[in-house]
Amino acid sequence: MRRWIWLFFLGLGALAQGRLEAGAYFQGGLFPTLEAGFALEEGEVYLRLQPGRGGLGYLGGVALGPLGYLGYGLQGEVGEGGLGGAVFLEGGAGPLALEGRLSYRPQAAFPLFPEEGLWGRLALRYRLAPKEVAGLLLEGGRAEATYALREGATYTLGLGVAGPPYLVLGFKGEVGEGGEALDLALRLGGVNRLEGGLYLGEASLLFILSHPWAGSLTLWLGDLGLEAGFRNSPYAWVRYAWRWP
Amino acid sequence: MRLLLTLFLVLAPALAQSVEGILDRVEKNLTEPWQAVVRGTFQGPSGPEELEARVYAIPKEDLFRIEYLKPASLEGNFTVITAKEVWNYLYLTNQVIISPRERAQVQGLGFSPQTFGDPRALAKEVSLRLVGEERLPEGVAWKLVGQAKGNQGFAQLELYVLKADPRPVRFLFRDEGGKVLADLKVVAFRRANLTPAALKRYPKDAQVVRR
Repeated sequence: MRRWIWLFFLGLGALAQGRLEAGAYFQGGLFPTLEAGFALEEGEVYLRLQPGRGGLGYLGGVALGPLGYLGYGLQGEVGEGGLGGAVFLEGGAGPLALEGRLSYRPQAAFPLFPEEGLWGRLALRYRLAPKEVAGLLLEGGRAEATYALREGATYTLGLGVAGPPYLVLGFKGEVGEGGEALDLALRLGGVNRLEGGLYLGEASLLFILSHPWAGSLTLWLGDLGLEAGFRNSPYAWVRYAWRWP
Repeated sequence: MRLLLTLFLVLAPALAQSVEGILDRVEKNLTEPWQAVVRGTFQGPSGPEELEARVYAIPKEDLFRIEYLKPASLEGNFTVITAKEVWNYLYLTNQVIISPRERAQVQGLGFSPQTFGDPRALAKEVSLRLVGEERLPEGVAWKLVGQAKGNQGFAQLELYVLKADPRPVRFLFRDEGGKVLADLKVVAFRRANLTPAALKRYPKDAQVVRR
């Protein structure tokens, strides 16, 4: 068995370009997570593994130079509860950006396979004018329309419906000379959630706080990711990513 | 007839050398960092569109940055060209798409943004020849024309190089049928104090996609 593992890692090294993200997830018990991607001539084949569930997928893309980029992919899964899969298309061309995802799995398996059952997300954004973007989001029983205006920073205002309606407020702006960015989004009403990200280059700090109470705090220091939060019960996730060459 | 043939045999190498000579002069003239605005029209997916872009160059580092101002759908997007890679930043999706320089394709524009800053690189892709001189609003310019050697997104190119201050001032790209794909002028040219970090700058929250 051990020999097979070494052969597996030697095999990884032989591939010219790729990434490997190994982690340890703790929620009640401790278990490993693994995500590996291997670049092909066009696109990437990736693997996601955690105890009880594994997925194999392909990521492709069409680059349109400065006009845009369209990424697409599909993923097949095996594991507890039965088979699962996902397809997605995301990117933009000219004034239009879209994101479409559709997945199915019999039961959620945190942290690598979080959505449960049949799950879909469709996000469309259209550039009305150089500095104005209108957005529409449909995801798992909620709908959201937003308007974003870029005047130095980008300010977003929107309205959503998730049963009861909710308000969306967003701010995104640069906070340093080198492209450092702060991104904040607040949803209040039918959905109550504050999300934020501070991106400093080598370090990034991300958080989500929602009611009913759940939340997470993630710190990326270069290739090391530290995440802690509460999702039904406390959890922690430590990850390290290798990229080669 | 023999005289004409002799003249041709004497002049042909001289003209061929002139292209090389002109490109040498451009290269020597543009060694220091510079910036300019490229303005004109190009054939977009849905018809002719206006193009306006700021170009920043540090030739010694083989580093160029093109910030798009028009068309409106490209405003906020930019292209960075390094010695080995081409980065395309897409504002709407907040992504940086990084491709090896030899694989970077610019479909839909009908021309390659690399062209503006690096006529020497352009000459590798187009077999240029000198056809004469023309008086432009900026001054007298050499007119070079050529055929694309491979699939560059265009078939023919007219390139105008200012004599007094050797640098490209106009690019005219055509398809096989001679239809104009892009007609672009270089304006507001000036030498500038630029740093590699400033040219490579992109938002730190952007998703980086390597191809």
